[in-house]
Amino acid sequence: MAYLDLTNISKTYGTDGRKVQAVAPLTLAMDRGQIVTFLGPSGCGKTTVMRMVGGLETPTTGTITLDGARLGGPDRRRGMVFQSYAAFPWLTVAGNIRLGLKYRADLSASDREDTVNRFIELVGLKGFADSYTNQISGGMRQRVAIARTLAANPDILLMDEPFGALDALTREHLQNKLLEINRTAGKTTIFVTHDVEEAILLAHRLVVFSARPARVLEDINVTEQLGPDDRDQALRDTPAFLSLRREVQQIIRAEYIRAEAEAAHAP
Amino acid sequence: MFGFRTSLPRRTELALGLAGLLLFLGLWHVASVSGWVKQQFLPTPFAVVEAFGRLFTERNFAGDIAISVGRVWLAFLLSVIVAVPLGLLMSCYRAVGAFVEPFVDFIRYLPVPAMVPLLIIWFGVGEASKIAVLWMGTFFQLVLLISDDTKRVPAEYVESGFTLGASQWQVIRDIVFPAALPNIVDNLRITLGWCWTYLIIAEIVAASSGIGHVIWSLRRFVKTPEVMAGIVAIGIIGLLTDQAFRWAHRRRFRYLER
Ligand SMILES: Nc1ncnc2c1ncn2[C@@H]1O[C@H](COP(=O)(O)OP(=O)(O)OP(=O)(O)O)[C@@H](O)[C@H]1O
Ligand SMILES: [Mg+2]
Repeated sequence: MAYLDLTNISKTYGTDGRKVQAVAPLTLAMDRGQIVTFLGPSGCGKTTVMRMVGGLETPTTGTITLDGARLGGPDRRRGMVFQSYAAFPWLTVAGNIRLGLKYRADLSASDREDTVNRFIELVGLKGFADSYTNQISGGMRQRVAIARTLAANPDILLMDEPFGALDALTREHLQNKLLEINRTAGKTTIFVTHDVEEAILLAHRLVVFSARPARVLEDINVTEQLGPDDRDQALRDTPAFLSLRREVQQIIRAEYIRAEAEAAHAP
Repeated sequence: MFGFRTSLPRRTELALGLAGLLLFLGLWHVASVSGWVKQQFLPTPFAVVEAFGRLFTERNFAGDIAISVGRVWLAFLLSVIVAVPLGLLMSCYRAVGAFVEPFVDFIRYLPVPAMVPLLIIWFGVGEASKIAVLWMGTFFQLVLLISDDTKRVPAEYVESGFTLGASQWQVIRDIVFPAALPNIVDNLRITLGWCWTYLIIAEIVAASSGIGHVIWSLRRFVKTPEVMAGIVAIGIIGLLTDQAFRWAHRRRFRYLER
């Protein structure tokens, strides 16, 4: 039994009239501390899988267990970072992060303030503690959301295209941060992205999904292929990275073609 | 000055607003002085200002204003105290919404003036019936507005709250309510305006005090300047309250500025 087990989970949206199967019965086992990235055609069901892990969607069939215990509705063990609506606008940067600590019973009042400051520093927002979100950039807002989620100290970090709306440089910066956080805190992470390079760079393991309904098409052990060494942006230019990128792109392209042909032949 | 969807300097805005007002007063004055409209029906702006002064010196108009303002705020607060929590619950729990909405929608379409006789039968001609008229006129609208405001809080906010470990009550208190608050306050401001409409109806039908009563009793002696001064008084109070609300909104919700 692995740390996080998805066993035969499937999801069908809608009731009798209009049913959409988003996720086919799918089994996936994740180890503690792993970063697993999800790639797949748009609308294939990646968000749905992530939301089921987060308890925000109930699987139609199958079970999800964490450390052997079955998971239900959302709670503090599974922290979520969304693509947009990142930080709460009515709170300052510090206020947002403080909210992440608010529902933890394991901290004293003085620990709380220390922890708030520690997370502000971790995401490089020192000096912006008292700024509201309308006074900071989109990338900074996303960092606030990440810090707030980390502050709640979840067992699993769920990130749904968190850097999707950001420019390339901000994106790289946050990727580095995420790798750094994973090195120090070893948070088990599921990370959804459309960016093949990002998916490889961040991953210990890369899961490619089929077109809807999502099945696991390819499960690539990235650590094995690129080595377990500390990751950084320089990895992008190595031959091993480039060949893996080509391989993944080909898998996705082939899947698009297959899905299109299937749709064309559908009754 | 006519830049498409551009903003203007604060001073230009004030000047334009003032110019519009002065133009209106000017046309009014000309219409009255020229005899185009009989002064008995349309006294000059100056006559109205004089009458405004007389209202305060010859009768206790300040007292009437205080009574009217008191009635409006009492009824308004009673409306808010019930509507805000109920609106929040209606949007957070579909069961509450489904239970309350058809009934509220029905009452909402009943014209409030039509309710006045019934409310007087129920509550007599004292304060209670006036408060009841105002409450009927605002509560059922307000509760739906609040429920809509909270429905518009992005699902991601709520879901973030749950994944941070908040309970349902904590999500309502720490996320849904503060997220919806700017819109709620805006709707309170608008609803408070409606209160005045219903107040005058209530005070005209059955009252021995208040601005509405003063206007109505002066009408009998065809004291047009005084009647108009009373109407202007309502306008001024409304304008001041509205501006105060806006000012507080800007101050409290500075984080909304782009
Ligand atoms: N609440 C819902 N009700 C009905 N259908 C839904 C719902 N959410 C998602 N779907 C459908 O399920 C399928 C998978 O959606 P999902 O959001 O999981 O895809 P995705 O892989 O995250 O897509 P993208 O990469 O574009 O974000 C889509 O066809 C979508 O239309
Ligand atoms: Mg998605």
